[in-house]
Amino acid sequence: MGVMTKLTKAMLYSRGFRLTELDGFERLIAGIYGRPDRVPVIMQPYTYAMGMNGLSARRFFSEPEPFIHASYNTAAYFGVDFWSPVFDFYNIELDALGQKLIWRDKSEPDVDTSDPLVKSEDDLKRLKPPVAGKSGRMPYVLESYRRFMEIMKLPPMCYCCAPFTMAVLIRGYVNILRDMRRNPAFVHRLMEFLSMEVTVPWIDTMAELTNSSIIVMSDAWASQPNMAPETVREFCLPYIEKVIRATSTAMRTVLDTGSWGERSVKDPRQVLDIKMDMMLPGNQLKALRPFFLLVWNEDYEEIGIPLARAYAREKKVCLALNIRPNLIEEGPPERIAETVRKLVKEGAGKGKLMLIINLVPPGTPVEHVHTLMAAIRRFARYPIALDLDSMAVAAPAFIPFEDWVAKEGLPI
Amino acid sequence: MDWEADLKGAVVEGDEIKAAQVAKQALDEGADPLSLLQNGAVAGIREAGDIWHAGDYFLPDIILASEAYKEAAKTIEPLLSHGQFSYRGKVLIGAVEGDAHDIGKNIVVSLLKCASYEVIDLGVDVPLQDFVDKVRELEPDILGMGAYMTTTMRGMSEVIGLLDQAGLREKVRVILGGAAVTREYAKEIGADGYGADAAEAVELADHLTGGK
Repeated sequence: MGVMTKLTKAMLYSRGFRLTELDGFERLIAGIYGRPDRVPVIMQPYTYAMGMNGLSARRFFSEPEPFIHASYNTAAYFGVDFWSPVFDFYNIELDALGQKLIWRDKSEPDVDTSDPLVKSEDDLKRLKPPVAGKSGRMPYVLESYRRFMEIMKLPPMCYCCAPFTMAVLIRGYVNILRDMRRNPAFVHRLMEFLSMEVTVPWIDTMAELTNSSIIVMSDAWASQPNMAPETVREFCLPYIEKVIRATSTAMRTVLDTGSWGERSVKDPRQVLDIKMDMMLPGNQLKALRPFFLLVWNEDYEEIGIPLARAYAREKKVCLALNIRPNLIEEGPPERIAETVRKLVKEGAGKGKLMLIINLVPPGTPVEHVHTLMAAIRRFARYPIALDLDSMAVAAPAFIPFEDWVAKEGLPI
Repeated sequence: MDWEADLKGAVVEGDEIKAAQVAKQALDEGADPLSLLQNGAVAGIREAGDIWHAGDYFLPDIILASEAYKEAAKTIEPLLSHGQFSYRGKVLIGAVEGDAHDIGKNIVVSLLKCASYEVIDLGVDVPLQDFVDKVRELEPDILGMGAYMTTTMRGMSEVIGLLDQAGLREKVRVILGGAAVTREYAKEIGADGYGADAAEAVELADHLTGGK
């Protein structure tokens, strides 16, 4: 079945036209637009896949085949609805620009913040934009997406680093704070360069290859309390809008997400409003867009899921909640199941909820992830059971990962 | 010229250039270093901390205030005689081996300085044995370790074990923080406390040093 047919089927299902069963991808789409058969769960296999498949960080984050095969094996083993081929997406453009990274054996590479690439205004003048798709590890990303499509017969959700976060990383946090006060014009020039000469060509290149309908710019540094809301409005939002206007099409939604901080301000709606403004401007036909409002566990555990749920309902967007990584790691299984019950009870409503396994810490017992999935399958079916509190989850039966890979998985 | 008020103002505003200039000019014109530090730089950083606690400053404001304080202190402190200025306590801090995330740690360092702690920042990616060697050498009241990745936080447990083996564990209070760490984990590995954020880390330091 073609992608368009799947999208149409999922959208119809979400509106009540339930012709046939949904597969994982269709469940995700139906969950974004309305009510699927069950709350969808997507996974970012990331460094958990790296560890489970015995790969070094160097191989995982620079060789497309082991990266995609390991990620696929991990996601398929647990039976999640959809997975994203997530690499160290904050670093790709910076790496391509020449920013020094620190590589380690067992974890993702990181920007060397002690040695930012733009140390002065003159450095910005000297900076050459990457050749989109060719510089640094951009070919690794494109080839990974190509292999993802080969295996999944679907386009991936593409990821890149948002310009504002790129600016903070390439200039250094304290330096850019000083620039914002003393030399805001320089910050605007840096943002213009990173937005229009780095991000836009990179998004276009990824979109051209994948034909993906969702491209996500991740913006960790546009978070509170690291930045004041006014700062985000002045230096970040105008450029997000520019990028979205330059790259979004009738069939392609580009959005900025990944920031946090509802718990750090007096009124959490202040941050939620910013998150909406990171998606809406520049995207036409808003009602048809696959928007999702992502609220991280650190925030929803503080402000409460009902507040986030009510806000998302008011704005008519899907609410996305991650599952706390430490909970998955530490367990015990009973606590994991209880947490899923709470998330479903307070967040599922009548649809428009997705759960995200954004990070499973390496070394986490597979039993914990299987329990998580079993609890989602048990508790999160629509309509949500009235006797949810009295329902139990049986200990999941599973075969060891190595045996599963030998039987079903892709070679590393 | 009211040098102390000027320096205090520069620190509150987070203007590190002005803070350094004022400190230098004041000293050139014979200002008393101790009074300049206490009533100028320290008073400024405390006021910035109060504004932050009241919710009227964001983190960038406090970070820049701390930078301004640092610049002023760099000029003034060499002129103080040993022991002339008394800190609330000495804190040794660093992100554990394998972890290069410095922002969270830097925020904690800033706020500890605001609260008049002497802070020795070992930086990021600190080899585990270095924590032990520095505790032996510098005799801090508190050792703060940060881990921002679950892959690196296990190193904290090792450091506590190494401190134990070296006979130093009873001489220093160990506090933990960072995105990967939880209160339960800190308790499990035998730390003396956990700070969920920078403000809590300072409260914890106050508690552990007993308002020294």
